[in-house]
Amino acid sequence: MQPTESTNAFSPEFNQRLKRRYRAEQSFKLMGIGAIFIALAFLVFLLSTILMSGYSAFKQTYIKLDVTLDKEYFPDEDLAKGDFQGIVKASLYSMFPEVSGRRDKRMLNNLVSKGAAFKLMDMVEADPKLIGTSFSIWVPAKDDVDMLMKGNIDMDQPEANRRIKDKQYERIRTLEYGGRLQMRFNKTFFTSGDSREPELAGILSAAKGSFYTLVITLLLSFPMGVAAAIYLEEFAPDNTFTDLIEININNLAAVPSIIFGLLGLAIFINFWGIPRSTPLVGGLVLTLMTLPTIIIAARASLKSVPPSIREAALGVGASKIQTVFHHVLPLALPGMLTGTIIGMAQALGETAPLLMIGMVAFIVDIPGGFTDPAAALPVQIYLWADSPERAFTEKTSAAIIILLGFLILMNAVAVYMRKKFEIKW
Amino acid sequence: MKIKGLIVAGALATATIMSSPAHANRDYISIVGSSTVYPFATVVAEQFGKTTQFKTPKIESTGSGGGLKLFCAGVGVDHPDITNASRAIKKSEQEKCAANGIKDIVEVKIGYDGIVLANSKKADPMQLTRKDIFLALAKDVPMDGKLVPNPYMTWKDVNSALPATKIEVLGPPPTSGTRDAFVELVMEEGVEEVDMSGISDEVKEKFEPGALREDGAYVEAGENDNLIVQKLQANPDALGIFGFSFLDQNADVIQGSIIEGESPTFENIAAGKYPVSRPLFFYVKKAHVGTIPGIAEYLAEFASEKAWGPEGYLADKGMIPMPDAERKQFADDVKNLKPMAMK
Amino acid sequence: MYFSYLLPAILLLGISGFFFGRSKAIRVANTQGGIQELHSLPNHYGMLTGLAVLLPALLLYGLWISIETSVVDKRIVNELPAELLEDTGTVSLYLNDIKNTLAGNITVSKDPEIGRAAERYAKIKRNYRSIVTAAVFALMLVFAAVTYQSISAKLRARNLVETVIKAILILCSAVAIFTTLGIVLSVLFEAIRFFQVIPLQEFLFGLTWSPQMAIRADQVGSSGAFGAVPVFAGTFMIAAIAMLVAIPIGLLSAIYLSEFANRKFRTMVKPMLEILAGIPTVVYGFFAALTVAPLIRNMGGFFGLSVASESAMAAGLVMGIMIIPFVSSLSDDVIHAVPQTLRDGSYGLGATKFETVRYVIFPAALPGIVGGILLAVSRAVGETMIVVMAAGLAANLTANPFQAVTTVTVQIVTLLVGDQEFDSPKTLAAFALGLVLFVFTLILNFIALRVVRKYREQYE
Repeated sequence: MQPTESTNAFSPEFNQRLKRRYRAEQSFKLMGIGAIFIALAFLVFLLSTILMSGYSAFKQTYIKLDVTLDKEYFPDEDLAKGDFQGIVKASLYSMFPEVSGRRDKRMLNNLVSKGAAFKLMDMVEADPKLIGTSFSIWVPAKDDVDMLMKGNIDMDQPEANRRIKDKQYERIRTLEYGGRLQMRFNKTFFTSGDSREPELAGILSAAKGSFYTLVITLLLSFPMGVAAAIYLEEFAPDNTFTDLIEININNLAAVPSIIFGLLGLAIFINFWGIPRSTPLVGGLVLTLMTLPTIIIAARASLKSVPPSIREAALGVGASKIQTVFHHVLPLALPGMLTGTIIGMAQALGETAPLLMIGMVAFIVDIPGGFTDPAAALPVQIYLWADSPERAFTEKTSAAIIILLGFLILMNAVAVYMRKKFEIKW
Repeated sequence: MKIKGLIVAGALATATIMSSPAHANRDYISIVGSSTVYPFATVVAEQFGKTTQFKTPKIESTGSGGGLKLFCAGVGVDHPDITNASRAIKKSEQEKCAANGIKDIVEVKIGYDGIVLANSKKADPMQLTRKDIFLALAKDVPMDGKLVPNPYMTWKDVNSALPATKIEVLGPPPTSGTRDAFVELVMEEGVEEVDMSGISDEVKEKFEPGALREDGAYVEAGENDNLIVQKLQANPDALGIFGFSFLDQNADVIQGSIIEGESPTFENIAAGKYPVSRPLFFYVKKAHVGTIPGIAEYLAEFASEKAWGPEGYLADKGMIPMPDAERKQFADDVKNLKPMAMK
Repeated sequence: MYFSYLLPAILLLGISGFFFGRSKAIRVANTQGGIQELHSLPNHYGMLTGLAVLLPALLLYGLWISIETSVVDKRIVNELPAELLEDTGTVSLYLNDIKNTLAGNITVSKDPEIGRAAERYAKIKRNYRSIVTAAVFALMLVFAAVTYQSISAKLRARNLVETVIKAILILCSAVAIFTTLGIVLSVLFEAIRFFQVIPLQEFLFGLTWSPQMAIRADQVGSSGAFGAVPVFAGTFMIAAIAMLVAIPIGLLSAIYLSEFANRKFRTMVKPMLEILAGIPTVVYGFFAALTVAPLIRNMGGFFGLSVASESAMAAGLVMGIMIIPFVSSLSDDVIHAVPQTLRDGSYGLGATKFETVRYVIFPAALPGIVGGILLAVSRAVGETMIVVMAAGLAANLTANPFQAVTTVTVQIVTLLVGDQEFDSPKTLAAFALGLVLFVFTLILNFIALRVVRKYREQYE
């Protein structure tokens, strides 16, 4: 650049340019803040949408019924064959004696969930002496009633378009004023499996499915990942084989997860014949998927152990293996565990490969082992997003809240461990 | 020592997993098939699982065609025991079953389902005839004595009485029984009323009225009926094709189109007035009854009045029950496991 | 059921082998004048003995566990009456019945024949298991004895043990290779079968994708075209939208955080951005389908645009949000790798921070940033749940982001969930798409990793 008059440090041109330069700086800074703001705004928007639509699922409307367990309802030896539905109906009719006609009765019966009969059945099976007695219990209300109480049904719509009819509305109000209708904590959501009735649906079977799947994943991927990392970081000679492994690991870390699902379908299910929809096959697929993450984290952790430790050990005569296992590994272990927890969190949220291996079935029973059919939490979310009942939208969001809760917990543990065991060399 | 502790713990845990006996046997019922029957079958399965000592059946939603294909693949624990279908089994499928050693199949009709064309409540309800629908959705339509690729862009092009909105219909893929039933009940009926004059018999013979448009007017939206409902809500111009139960559950946001002057209501379908309704079925392998625990009991639950009767819990879920006589006849067939005849 | 105790017994014997070996080594050493006379530590002799007991026994045990069912099934099938054998399906049901009876499940079958067969089955299984147990113990005994005998001061126990450990380590590292191999094999074979039906050039260059073939002879389906161009185009459109969102936001926030923000702001905001990466994709999918898509549609309606209910825009936008932390943390690494001397030089010449970023840091970091972006693209292309839930199935060849498009991953999921017959081009097409996806991301990752690594070495 030619030194001219205008480059004089105090000329008006210079000041103008300086101003322009500072303006550019300011606007760039604003853009940066804007970018961060947009990203965080989206995060807040997403989380608040889900919280807003999901928190209500932790409450559930209950109705108090006075039931009389007459002997006539139990004609059979087998108590499970008793007419529990009849007991519930009789109780409802006694509360609203004016109800007559089939349509009207059906509308009345539709206020109470099918779960009421199941609840009575469980009580009677646990204590057969209840037969012949009268008592009052709180039973879950039907999902439509629940939706009404949570303000999700617009009563201004014409009657034909509503799931709750005028007569039902009247009766719900009567129950409410009589103190027979209450919002309570929804325990069912945490203690039962999937159900076609939104008010009975729970996440326990999916959560247990996820748990079993993750146990398999952890047991396989942690030892294998650590072993592979130790080999690559401490022992591997600089040759083609090592290069091949390294390239493979780096590539696998970025291979789309659905490809692992294809692998599971073709090899684990079709070739090895492992049963579909089980935590075993899910765990195997997720192991292969998380292995690269764990290996990479474990290697970074080994790398951070200073060479002086190794040299000191080797200097006093330890063998290479002794050095690694007695001195390097204990120092690197916290970092490895942190990486593993993050890998597990990833595996917990993964859905796509599980769709390929049949973990999208309707599972009510709570899986009791690694070879029982099971769903997983994220898959349950996917399935509920697809159910016709409106109340499931709320359950889907609630399941998402639970899933996010687990993830936050796992990450918090990882962060805590990193802080606690961090060694400054 | 920490590491050794970890290794020992890991080894012990692995040992417990490996020594837990690997069950190669199956003690639960495996059901596949139609996504239309899926909501009904799952309700029955749940009731069955809760009130008996048997395990709750495992149900996968695969579409009627996909389900029958899995079902007919063979006898044995690796193959499903029951398949749900939103249409009757075809002769070709029955032959495939027979070829794979499945000799006795019990056919159980469970009720009826209307196929509705619904749109968002934000728009006006449509008044359609089957001819309109055919002209709007067929891949090729007759025009001036020739078969031409479907030129209609808006409903008004099809029938001047209809609104000038773009034709956009979300519907099921060919694996779905709903698609089969839709083709049979709407497209093949609708073509009868179209003026085919001037078209040579040779062309007519080759013409497939069931082929649907692939230029974007008909959107194959998968088996996920619930997402279709959501999408209709978002897009008031679009129509969706699905079973009555979805309309019933979402009656506050979507409405069924009136077809041939009849609106799709529970009463109209049950009375047989609404023209587009089809029976729902499931098929059972007789060879599996008695070896896979619980099949007979599951069938009994399904065929009980409290399930499929007019006051039963399936009607609450939107299934249209069969008339009394028909119900009784099928209940008897179920009890005796009467195998169906070859078509 | 003593067999279930076999595995713990093996482990127990392995541990006691360790102690026996160690005490023998110590004894040997004491006769020769102390531990220093041994080649290795006593523990190494113990470990050697323990491994000699454990490894062969575990191998045999594992082998038996994996073949037990098929061996026993075969034996019992050979004994079944001939009329049952005509049909493999009946045999499998019969076996299932036997096993259910054995497991004590509620069976409907009251057939005494089954009961007898079940007893027989249990007996055969018992016999086999006795033989295997005996063999396992014999194996352990032999190996233990041989190793125990060979323990002497000269035995290079440590080297032997370390070789075994190293072999195990190598085996674990090789799992990565096996996984890749497994992916290639599982995808390639089915894809080749697909290309036998549909020519490769039609798949790669055909302009119509309509895989919904009729699945019965008497059904009218779609025409069954397998031209994958619209699928690829849709994938790239959604990925492009995602990158248009993620690159500016991710890059700007990375630069701001590393060059402008103070420490406190940085430590607070960075983890919050990372949360975006930790949210499961199914959650994004739910959010995209039920919240963002209707929002975009309504906005489009407001501006008089016609927006499809499953527009590429919604899926792309949400995917972009998901990828922001990916872009920002990768660029952050790269910007950090730019040596401080470059910055100091620039400041020394009187440049403002923005000018330093614009003319010094950004050009220096560019190759690394490009590598990071390529990795992000590969992730966008392979993302599944968001598009499955928010993008459509309709394979439109369009450049309008407000239209519905479909992607490779959506097609794989819809083709494979449900109908699972492995003979129609429809199912095989999923594997062909999987192959394309795998190869594409492989190339992308390969280039990106090369670029990133080369760049890093430049300053080290």
